[in-house]
Amino acid sequence: MKKLLLLGLAAITLSAFTTLPGKLKSTVSHIAFYSHTALEDIKADNYKSIAVLNTESGDVIISVPMQSFEFEKRMMQKHFNQEKFLNTAEFPKAKFKGRIQNMDSHDFSKPGELILTIHGDMTIKGKTQPVNMVATALIKGDKVQLNTAFDLTLSDYGVEFSSGKPSTSIAKTIEVNALFQF
Amino acid sequence: MNRKKALIAIAVIVVAGIAFTLYMLNMPARDVQGTDSDYQIPSTALVQEYLDDAASANAKYLDASGESTILEVTGTIADISRDFNDQVVILLQSDDDPAGVSCTFTLETNASTDGLSVGKDVVIKGVIRSGAAYDEDLEMFEPVIIEKSDLFDIL
Repeated sequence: MKKLLLLGLAAITLSAFTTLPGKLKSTVSHIAFYSHTALEDIKADNYKSIAVLNTESGDVIISVPMQSFEFEKRMMQKHFNQEKFLNTAEFPKAKFKGRIQNMDSHDFSKPGELILTIHGDMTIKGKTQPVNMVATALIKGDKVQLNTAFDLTLSDYGVEFSSGKPSTSIAKTIEVNALFQF
Repeated sequence: MNRKKALIAIAVIVVAGIAFTLYMLNMPARDVQGTDSDYQIPSTALVQEYLDDAASANAKYLDASGESTILEVTGTIADISRDFNDQVVILLQSDDDPAGVSCTFTLETNASTDGLSVGKDVVIKGVIRSGAAYDEDLEMFEPVIIEKSDLFDIL
C-alpha cells in the first residue's frame, strides 16, 4: 500500500515537470514592426514574447508584453503606449491564438523546412480580429525555429488617427515580423 | 528701436521653441539605471502581488506612457540565458514560487553578470514591462518582465 502511494506520488511529481508530448515552449523571440510613410519610417523591437507550439495538434499561442516594444526615440515609445494609441497600462499583453492548417501533411519529427499556413485570432487592446499568416518552420533535431511575417491594420484594433501628426506619420497598415526559437 | 527689440525677442522665442520641439522629438531612450528606483521588493512578493490581484498590481506598477516603475528586485538566480538581441536574461525565482521575475540586461550591462551563477542571491534594478500571470492558452505561468536591467547588489 505504502509502495503504491509512493509510486503514485512519483508519477504526480514527474508529470508536474514534464510537458505534454509535442508541446514546445519559446522564450527566445524577436517581434519587430515597421510603419512606412512618406514622412517617417518607424521601427520597434520586442524580445520578450512567449510562445507555445504544439507539433501534434498544430496549436500556436503567442503572448506579447506590449511595453517591451523598444523604439529609437523616446517620444515615439511614449506615444505608442498612451491610452489613445495602444493603452498598454490597461492592456499590457497582446495575444495570438492560432492553429497550423493541414497538420496531417506536416512532419515535425524530420529535420528540414516546413511552409505553414496558420489561421487564428489576434487580440490587441482588448479587440480580437482574425489573422492568417504564412510561417516557415526550420527543424533541427528537437529544436524548431518559427519565422513569420504579416500585416496588421491598426484601425481593426481601435487605433485610429484622423488628424494631427500621427495621421500622416504613422502607416494605416503595419508590417510585422516574428521569430521564435522553440 | 522698440520694434527691433520686439523682433529679436520673437526670434529668440521661435528658435527656442524649435529647439525644444526638436529635442523632444529626438530625445533618446529613457535612462533607467540613471533614475531612482520606485520600489524595493523580493521577487516572491512581486509575483504574489500579481497573482493575487493583477489589476491593482498593474495600476501600481505600470505607467500609461510606458515609462513604468523602476524596481530593485531581490531574489535567487534560477536561470541565466541570452535572448535574440544577445542580452543576458536572469530569472529570479525561489523553489516554491509558481512564477519568477525575468530580468533582461542590455548590451551595455551584460558584463556585470559575469561570474554570476544559479543559486546566488542578488538585487537587480530595472523597469517593469508586464506582470506574472497564469495564462490558460499557454497553459503555463508567465514571469514578471523587467528590462534595462543592471546588477544592483550581490547578497
